[in-house]
Amino acid sequence: MPLTLIYLYQNAIRNPMRTSLTCAAVALPIMIFVLSVAVIDGIERFLDNSARQLRLVVSSRVSIVTQLPSAHRTRIESLDPQKTRLRGVCGVRWIGGKVERDPRPLSTLAVDEDAFYVAFPDTGMTPEENEAWARDRQAIALGRGTAKQFGWKVGDRITISPSVPPYTPMEFHVVTTLENGADPITNWCRRDYLEEELKRVRYPADRVSFYFVKCGSKADLDALHVEIADLLNTSADPVSVQDEKAFMNQFITQNFDLPRNLTILAAVTVFVAIMAAANTMSMNFRDRINEFATLKALGFGGGFVSRLMQIESLGVCLLGGLLGAGGPYVAFTHTPLANVTIPVIQYLDIRPAVCGQALLIALGIGLLAALWPAVAAMRMRVVAALRNLE
Amino acid sequence: MSGADIELKDVRKAYYKDRLEIPVLDGLDLAIRSGEFVVLMGPSGSGKSTLLHLVGGLDSPTGGSVRVGEARLENMNERELTAWRSRHVGFIFQMYHLVPVLTAAQNVELPLLLYRMSSGERRQRVTTALDVVGLSDRMHHRPNQLSGGQEQRVAIARAIVTDPDVILADEPTGDLDARTSEEILNLMNLLNSEFKKTILMVTHDPKAAQHGERIVHLDKGVLHREELTAARAGARA
Repeated sequence: MPLTLIYLYQNAIRNPMRTSLTCAAVALPIMIFVLSVAVIDGIERFLDNSARQLRLVVSSRVSIVTQLPSAHRTRIESLDPQKTRLRGVCGVRWIGGKVERDPRPLSTLAVDEDAFYVAFPDTGMTPEENEAWARDRQAIALGRGTAKQFGWKVGDRITISPSVPPYTPMEFHVVTTLENGADPITNWCRRDYLEEELKRVRYPADRVSFYFVKCGSKADLDALHVEIADLLNTSADPVSVQDEKAFMNQFITQNFDLPRNLTILAAVTVFVAIMAAANTMSMNFRDRINEFATLKALGFGGGFVSRLMQIESLGVCLLGGLLGAGGPYVAFTHTPLANVTIPVIQYLDIRPAVCGQALLIALGIGLLAALWPAVAAMRMRVVAALRNLE
Repeated sequence: MSGADIELKDVRKAYYKDRLEIPVLDGLDLAIRSGEFVVLMGPSGSGKSTLLHLVGGLDSPTGGSVRVGEARLENMNERELTAWRSRHVGFIFQMYHLVPVLTAAQNVELPLLLYRMSSGERRQRVTTALDVVGLSDRMHHRPNQLSGGQEQRVAIARAIVTDPDVILADEPTGDLDARTSEEILNLMNLLNSEFKKTILMVTHDPKAAQHGERIVHLDKGVLHREELTAARAGARA
């Protein structure tokens, strides 16, 4: 091996603790960057899918938790009785849910049984599955990720306790695991079954959280947006009408703007990594002033010692970058973590291109960290350095 | 390659601290013959090390001229001085200044990175240099596995591996015990007598100074007096 490479390698392992800690200081922000981008990508994917569905969401103008009367559905449908522009109106009520003695939360929505198939074609439900769903009041269509996580399959009878009224355990019959659905997490049950349970335990019924209005085209969506608002805003339960993407975006960011905060977090941690690596390289330079002075005395130029510092810094930061980007990539691609589902984001998709970006950031950290020590090493006067040491 | 002659004429050097001029060398004249072993002595602050740095091209004079062989150092810029140094000067320091993460052989090989030569030739030169200093059996040892005397011998091997004209030694025995000092000084004598290297050595030790041919005493930046060493005087007699 050439002596220069031996020298660089030996310098990298000269102080293993310092090198390891610097690698970790770079790896951690790179990991945060990679995961943040994956989360933001997941949210954008989710929102893009929502935008493609040509659906309007009608919610209460008072607040997102205020429910609307069931009667609003008929009034909305009256805008297009022929269903040429308005394909379907589906009332939705969120019930969340949990399985007894299992801490994992479920994402379950109770929907209008007759409108679900038309309003949510992106669930990928087949006509046969729809028939099974229509026949059974206790039918539930499971997200495939949820089914896999809990080991549920078609034909199973499962019991879920809603996170909202009526709270009491409800038994469902699995009619499909929605293998072709865009959303692998959300489960869908029939709202008529929920209404019965609510009435049985004497909770107010005939209310929905939102209406999803499936439109025929973008032009229909724009027109119905205005028409629905005009129609219902004079009622006792005024509404807010948004396209699904805007609604979902508002829903995701209402309390905490996750994408924005993740971007800030990633930027701050990268900045911290630059400072940590720069501190290491400065210590490295100070520890080796006599060595650099000797190299210069032997005839090595300022450029050589400067490049030594830069290459060492780039090497350490690149190693940190490989760990920070490669770790999540391997974990979320080739281990059981790949099957873990997250609400909204669904699956963490660590793209190789993002790993490439992360490595470039790691190299950028390395370059910036070595900037001052490299310039100092280049400009260092041999006589002054030797005089301080002899 | 044999040694080069050295000529300093009216050399002045001053340092500045907080805008205050501190003169170190004040119109020094000195001539050293090719292949001569000259010892510089004098009290601290007399300008010995500064003189060594000027001759080695590590620093430039404020005034006057420094010639080493054909090279006029006062006219060279830093880049030229660096290139010249790598080919014509070998340095030996009091604290050895070996690279701690490299073996003895790798330390000796370092200056050869500045030369275009095959790895075989490089290996041959390293082996020869370590043979000269009697350390061929320690070539794979790291500095922390060597004694002070052995470290200084590696430093000498590093100084001679490029076959320089001039060897500059700044108190090379200052950190060694008497017996080891004697070994190092005998080695310097060998380099001077066998390989005809011009040697300029700074020392505070009068006994060490006797290994040279001529002792130059500096005081307050000027040449105070010169004397031939006992061995040289005896040879003349």
